[in-house]
Amino acid sequence: MMRQWWWKISGVLILLYTIILGLLTPLKPGIVKIHNTQVTSGEVAEIEIVGYNTHFDEASQNKAYLRLENEKYLPSTNAISHSFNEITYIFDIPHFPESGEKIVVASLIINNEIDGSAVLPASVFIQQAPVPGAIHEGAFIDNLSGLVDPGWSFRFPYRSILHETIRNTFFHITLWFSMFIMLGTGVFYAIRYLKYRRVNDDLKSRALTSVSVLFGLLGLITGSIWARFTWGTWWTPDVKLNMTAVAMLIYLAYFVLRSSIKDQDQEARLASVYNVFAFVALIPLVFVIPRLTDSLHPGSGGNPALGGEDLDNTLRLVFYPAILGFTLLGIWMTSLYYRILNVKEKLLEKT
Amino acid sequence: MNMMISYKLRIEKFLILVVALLLPCAAIASGESGVVDFLRNTGKIYSVVTLVLIVFIGMIIFLIRLDKKLTKLENQINNE
Repeated sequence: MMRQWWWKISGVLILLYTIILGLLTPLKPGIVKIHNTQVTSGEVAEIEIVGYNTHFDEASQNKAYLRLENEKYLPSTNAISHSFNEITYIFDIPHFPESGEKIVVASLIINNEIDGSAVLPASVFIQQAPVPGAIHEGAFIDNLSGLVDPGWSFRFPYRSILHETIRNTFFHITLWFSMFIMLGTGVFYAIRYLKYRRVNDDLKSRALTSVSVLFGLLGLITGSIWARFTWGTWWTPDVKLNMTAVAMLIYLAYFVLRSSIKDQDQEARLASVYNVFAFVALIPLVFVIPRLTDSLHPGSGGNPALGGEDLDNTLRLVFYPAILGFTLLGIWMTSLYYRILNVKEKLLEKT
Repeated sequence: MNMMISYKLRIEKFLILVVALLLPCAAIASGESGVVDFLRNTGKIYSVVTLVLIVFIGMIIFLIRLDKKLTKLENQINNE
């Protein structure tokens, strides 16, 4: 099994698929900036926006809708595109005195036949004019079914702060997933060593743990870079970050422990026991404590991680294979390390 | 004595690994405004590229370390 090629090659192919699809799939269109967010009822309002990944100048059916809180939509009367990402929508805003509030908050939905639609929630504030004119009930439409062109569907979701970094899902989160898979396997071999005292099991456990720690360190560094471009700093006092760093230190101590014991049997025994305890400590540090408090990561405050909005079906199509790909690559690296350790062991036995 | 030296070497190698992995971050941090602005370009796509590169470099460094271990073993076998 270890010397066979099929799983190594499939691991590399899966990673290739991840990189190609993960980096080349375009994002859905988004609204980056909106000028004049305050409009007054009874007037003609010009709302200028800057879009992302849009083709305003090529599209012929640029339309925008203001979605009010009572599920009514106000379509734009005209749209003037300035460039591929700049457009001005013109709204004829009627009076709607049935809502007694002075300011009505509306979400902006834009749509055209090339890009599909994008939404900027709670972005336009409609000020009610002091003297209401005639009521224009007919200006509103009840739903958008049939009016909104979905556009090309296989695209990653656009998120306001994340932008393109939503692709980091495939290169940061997957590292942690495969680290857990390999650490779990490492603990399995550590327990097996403690039970049967076969040196091979200890070597496997050691190789698996060191590759996992490499993945963990890479996960911390990539996470730090991701944080710089979304949360604004290299390191936030986020619980999950600090707890993961603690877990990594615990695992680094595993190697210090290994290299500081002379006797081989003793080293293997102590390291196996330590490995089990480290893994037991890792679970509350990474999975339990961050959920008990507030964290910037998904899955804080008791929410399930990676649910609903965070991972849609297009992301899943790349995300799950990426976990498998990274795990297979990790196991390949592990098997190389294991074989080296094994040869070393054989040499020691001979001398 | 021999043991001590090999232990020291191991620590050194580990430190080199850590420094090498942190180097890109440090490089970005030192040139903060300019480099960060570049990485923020076009929807922060270059930060994704940096991330992929770091994962790649980290794995290559691990492989180089393995390679060196293997070379040492080969030398040992050849000497006997």
